Amino acid sequence: MNNENIIEIKDLKKTYENGVIKALDGINLEIKKGESVSIIGPSGSGKSTLLNMIGALDKADEGSINVAGIDLMQENDLSDFRLNEIGFVFQLHNLIPNLTVLENVQTPLIETVISNKKMEERALKILKSVNLADKINQKPTKLSGGERQRVAIARALVNHPSIILADEPTGALDSKTQDVILDLLLDIHKQENVTLIMVTHEHDVANKAERSIYVLDGKIKEIKKN
Amino acid sequence: MKFRDLIIKNIFRNKSRSILTVIGIAIGVAAVVGLGLVTDNLSASTQNALTAGAADFSVVSGTSNGNNGGGPPGGSNQLINQTYVSEIQQISGVSSTAGVLRTMTDLSNTNSTNSSSTSTNNTFGGGNFRSMTTLIGIDNSSLSMDDVVITNGSVYSNDNEVIIGKNAAQSLNKTIGENISISNQTFKVVGIYETGNFMDDNGIVMSLSKLQNLTGDTGQVSLVLVKASNDTDASNLASTIEAKYPNQLSTSTSLSGMNRMNNGLDVIKSGSWAVSLLAVLVGGIVVLVTMMKAVSERTREIGVLRAIGWSQKRILSMIIGESLVLSLIAIVVGLAIGIGLVELLSTTQILQGITPSFSASLILKGIGVALFLGIIGGIYPAYRASRLSPTEALRYE
Ligand SMILES: Nc1ncnc2c1ncn2[C@@H]1O[C@H](COP(=O)(O)OP(=O)(O)OP(=O)(O)O)[C@@H](O)[C@H]1O
Ligand SMILES: [Mg+2]
Repeated sequence: MNNENIIEIKDLKKTYENGVIKALDGINLEIKKGESVSIIGPSGSGKSTLLNMIGALDKADEGSINVAGIDLMQENDLSDFRLNEIGFVFQLHNLIPNLTVLENVQTPLIETVISNKKMEERALKILKSVNLADKINQKPTKLSGGERQRVAIARALVNHPSIILADEPTGALDSKTQDVILDLLLDIHKQENVTLIMVTHEHDVANKAERSIYVLDGKIKEIKKN
Repeated sequence: MKFRDLIIKNIFRNKSRSILTVIGIAIGVAAVVGLGLVTDNLSASTQNALTAGAADFSVVSGTSNGNNGGGPPGGSNQLINQTYVSEIQQISGVSSTAGVLRTMTDLSNTNSTNSSSTSTNNTFGGGNFRSMTTLIGIDNSSLSMDDVVITNGSVYSNDNEVIIGKNAAQSLNKTIGENISISNQTFKVVGIYETGNFMDDNGIVMSLSKLQNLTGDTGQVSLVLVKASNDTDASNLASTIEAKYPNQLSTSTSLSGMNRMNNGLDVIKSGSWAVSLLAVLVGGIVVLVTMMKAVSERTREIGVLRAIGWSQKRILSMIIGESLVLSLIAIVVGLAIGIGLVELLSTTQILQGITPSFSASLILKGIGVALFLGIIGGIYPAYRASRLSPTEALRYE
């Protein structure tokens, strides 16, 4: 494995419904540490599936996938890997409604041995950096879509992951908010040198990343430098 | 935020469902504890009945149904001649004998109308079972042979005095020093007794001659209580007596009376077991269904938690933790309902004479039931939740 690459994928295949749906049909991809990459393509093309494979949320059928030095085809329990290496941001509805903003951001840390006080300090610091210091005791239902997404980003960052995987993080936002969130993700990527991979439908969003990967029918059609 | 804080917050999320789960478990706890209180109390009274000095067996008429000796009345009781009392006393191996006359009467409206009829037939027919009072005639020196223990006051010393059972004291609302009217005659209550037999505890005991006089059965008894001397085997002695008076007398050990009591108790016990089991089963199903619902409603959230690094074990602990917390609440609610209900019913006719007492083992049983239900009802939903594929869970709408 090339030392610069944080992700190396070879001939990765994934089918659903007993092989009827070829969600990933031979993916070959290398992503460098600290890179920002967008994955673009029509609905059903396999973008989320690819992202989920990188985040070890699901297992591929064939091929190889190596992320942050871990062979994801070999390991079985990858929750530690997700906890330590990956920060997920989803499109919508991914905060726990009965917990406050501050508590939501702490949820990943429950799996760690960090003390209660440290947990809170860390969450607070990150919430400040995403400009939510004044909303920490609110419930997510009281927040706007953009604010919710900032909470989700804070939660993804709280355990200092090496990769942020964002699946249409701006998909449910108006264009103004969309820019704010996008800029936030790119800022974090630059400042913390975190590898950022985001799935999107939209070209202007995709173009903000260093590279855009165009996916169609489970295959990579084109990789473009921006 | 600690893990346990999250668990507690989660159970307050859907309050009505949590309340339903608590009620489900609490019903199981209440049934086990409430029915346990009643059966424990009944068996404790039965144990008390094994008083020292009690007769080993009783001798009854050979023509009557042999199962009707000494114990609680039921069916017909042929009277036998009182001369048997002294005859049996002469048999070697007999330590002591006592003649007893037993009958039942309805005293429920005695004091107003004086219409009470004393029946020697011991039939339940005319009267309400609950309002029937057992009348027992026995010489005051032989009371211990009939398991009668004075708990308050003193023994009757003349024909105008009676002692009443602790249950009768309650149901007739009489206490020491008060008068009681039986068959147009007035008696003074001088003592309260206990036998441990809940039928006899709802009775009135007076001297044998007075009851014979009252019922017109002069010179007759229902049974002769026999106590074997220390070196004599009671069942051998019983056979000897039966052999000596073929067709005239039959014996029935008072222990078999006890056994019958115990059998009755066993029926009550297995009945209460069945009810408890049913309640526990219903509780288990309620927990299972509500926890399944809680899991399926949170499918997407469980997917998110898995995505942010929670292990399967953590998801499992969260769901089981939630159902255990509900169990802990249900322990308090269930114990309160169970004990409260028995406490309440013990003041009414239904559970008259039962004094519920907190026993540690019963409370532990209740706690055990709740934890069992919490774990059993929670384990499958928790397992399902932990086995959810994160991607499928995230796709769940
Ligand atoms: N868990 C699953 N079970 C069955 N089919 C699945 C599953 N996950 C994905 N698929 C199918 O695999 C294909 C790729 O899905 P994927 O979610 O990766 O698409 P996508 O590019 O993210 O689409 P969208 O832009 O709509 O989110 C689709 O046909 C989808 O229906
Ligand atoms: Mg998708």
